Amino acid sequence: MPAAAVQALPEPQHEQLSNGASVVRIDLPQAPVVCLDFWCRAGSARETEAESGMAHFLEHMVFKGSEQLAAGEFDLRVEALGGNSNAATGFDDVHYHVLMPPEASNDALELLLDLVLRPRLDAEDFDMERQVVLEELAQSEDQPEEVAFQELLRQACGTHAYGQPILGRKPALEAHRPEAMAQFHRRHYRPERCCLAIAGPTAALGSDLRQRLERSCLGQLRPADGPEITPPALHLSPGEARLELPRLEAARLLMAWQLPGAADQRSVLGGDLLTTLLAEGRRSRLVERLREELRLVESIDLDLNVLESGCLVLLEAVCEADQLAAVEREVRRVLLELQEREPGEAELERARRLVGNGYRFSLEVAGSVAAMVGNSALWQRRHSLQAPLDWLEQWDRAAVQRELVPLLAPDRAFSLQAVPA
Amino acid sequence: MRAEPGSWDLGCPLWLLHRPGAPILSAKLWMRGGSSGDPEGQRGAAQLLAGVLSRGCGPLSGDALADLVEGCGAGLRCEAAEDATLISLKCASDDAAVLLPLLLQMVRSPWLVDDQIALERQLNLQTLQRQREDPFQVAHDQLREQLYGQGPYGHDPLGVEAELRQLERGALQRQAEQLGQGGAVLVLAGAIPDGVETLLLAGLEGQPWTPTAPERRRGPQGLSATALATSPDETEQLVLMLGCTTTALGAEQALALRLLHCHLGIGMSSRLFVALREEHGLAYDVGVHHPARLGDAPFVMHLSSSAERAAEACRELLNEWQRLLDQPISAGDLELARAKFRGQEALGRQTSSQLADRQALVLGHGLPMDFADRSLEAATQLTPDDLHRAATSLLGRPCLSLCGPTDALRAAEREWQRHPLSRPES
Repeated sequence: MPAAAVQALPEPQHEQLSNGASVVRIDLPQAPVVCLDFWCRAGSARETEAESGMAHFLEHMVFKGSEQLAAGEFDLRVEALGGNSNAATGFDDVHYHVLMPPEASNDALELLLDLVLRPRLDAEDFDMERQVVLEELAQSEDQPEEVAFQELLRQACGTHAYGQPILGRKPALEAHRPEAMAQFHRRHYRPERCCLAIAGPTAALGSDLRQRLERSCLGQLRPADGPEITPPALHLSPGEARLELPRLEAARLLMAWQLPGAADQRSVLGGDLLTTLLAEGRRSRLVERLREELRLVESIDLDLNVLESGCLVLLEAVCEADQLAAVEREVRRVLLELQEREPGEAELERARRLVGNGYRFSLEVAGSVAAMVGNSALWQRRHSLQAPLDWLEQWDRAAVQRELVPLLAPDRAFSLQAVPA
Repeated sequence: MRAEPGSWDLGCPLWLLHRPGAPILSAKLWMRGGSSGDPEGQRGAAQLLAGVLSRGCGPLSGDALADLVEGCGAGLRCEAAEDATLISLKCASDDAAVLLPLLLQMVRSPWLVDDQIALERQLNLQTLQRQREDPFQVAHDQLREQLYGQGPYGHDPLGVEAELRQLERGALQRQAEQLGQGGAVLVLAGAIPDGVETLLLAGLEGQPWTPTAPERRRGPQGLSATALATSPDETEQLVLMLGCTTTALGAEQALALRLLHCHLGIGMSSRLFVALREEHGLAYDVGVHHPARLGDAPFVMHLSSSAERAAEACRELLNEWQRLLDQPISAGDLELARAKFRGQEALGRQTSSQLADRQALVLGHGLPMDFADRSLEAATQLTPDDLHRAATSLLGRPCLSLCGPTDALRAAEREWQRHPLSRPES
């Protein structure tokens, strides 16, 4: 067992404010910065059809200021203190994060909470930012690979929110109004659906943090009146399709499978293990067969996307158009071979080491630690940092073969061939 | 962090950056002579060699090497950038004993098997082809040609298709023999085991290797020959890149230029972000590209905007460049730029890989170990006038590269023709 796998890891400290908001802290005394990461269960999967793109558009609008902060003032103040900030919207959730020198982290905390929880949503700013979002959409549509992935999700996920673009549909974006956005914000930014994660040298935040958070706009947020309406479970539809795309230079084989949702963290680690076994590194099965031996592809990747309503495993193979059929045939063959014979101990151990070290390496960065513990706490998964490594160890050959391999059977996939028009 | 020189009798420096915390080790072997050192008619050789170095060395075949590295859950990569070939290792520190010898083994006894060269060459050719899907890449490649022509910085490190196709083992063998001769440095960061020098030298297996210490000397120059270049493409947006060649890392005025970079392109309070995105809604992605180089580094402002707003986007971008030439930035803006510069330095010291990477780059440029700290100190002494002088002396003649729909190209071209920047005083 390498040393990286036995060093004691810091423990996340969980708290809950009086109104139900979660706070999780993790002390990393050696880190040069503190990361403040605010999470909310307000991703695109919470949108109605008419609200297409609203969660992401709101994430943009948040940076346009609050009742106390003028547009751009937050960025200016954070960056003048040597920090930086950003945000990201996913299907399930959205998060806003700030990296600060420890001595300035208290100031940033107040600013961040004010910005996110009391956005101004000024009408003039709204119109200007809509232009920016439309530019983001246009930029993404100029990347044929992104267009192909979007089409894969649309066909594989059907009417589920995971099949809809996070950036939104253009007609809906053009129809959005500040009032509707304010309503979306009120509906979803509720304390029981929010989590604040803090990682880094947390001593700089002082011993009265809890009291100050109770008095902050996070602590003052009113809980929702009714129950939270959660998106339905994903039911991926197997199938196949072909798509001709202008400006595509190399063909793509894209495939999608469904795995259990993020609540089943043991399966998530198993999924990570299996996708690594199959497609990470030169000696992984798919890379070795399709790129190294048969030389059919420029690259082949298999990524696990951890999602609440059902995780998605997405495959992308880049190849010449006239090789597409052979590529798909070989991918299926490799997956069928795995169905028929359980993986060897050595290849499973190789995957275990790659996943375990990848996880350990990610703990070097305060931002990635905050994101990990923040997202877990948001979805009420209060496990230690060590737990994923323990789950990883629990997966043996028989368990992988019995529980996971069948989920990646070729006939459970939706497969899309994208070719140059 | 505690830094100390390693003790070995090779001609290139070894630095050990001891860092408490996680038992992780990162190593960076930086060897001058990346794609800018590709011989005439062999553009792509450095990157092709870099790819093949991890396909077998010493007693290990490509498969055995991959088994060893991946079996440890480690990462071992070799890549050529413009100025250097870089071998990077990241692993659990307990695996250092078996993995560290690979670094010098890859350099001194690569297998260079024809079959593996053919595979790597095919992969690079395919990547070059696929990159053409991205209008940013097209505009970037075009600008590179405008700025550097056929010079050492004039091509993608992946190479030029026609020349890459011709590259064979002999060319790579000659390249491999030169590794380290132009200057090299090895930096280890993290939890470093005792006796690390012995582990590293074990990779030479008794063979000689005579690298030299990196010296401070001028790298490739720019040309800025073609003022405007356009690539028609059926895209939604027009990509605009406005740039020129400037100066080397550590050169006079380079720090002033770095502060201008921070002012213009770092963070959401940056000038370009505020002026072009927040005030005009012209773009989602806007910024500055200004990599550290041994030679005349490019300084590029870039954005992409809807085709129908091409004229406005082009005009505003040109005006932002012109503003730098016309007037010094304010004292407040300079203070903000300094804060961002400090912040970038702090954020770049989070992981052992970042530490090793930054220090290898600095030492590879022939700069002192404490270059970053000296720069932070020197930045406090610069004035708005210093930055203005750097702008007027280095940014006077920008070139414009455009990629997008024909109508948008025409509209942007008209803006360019009527703007003073298209007619710089000689």
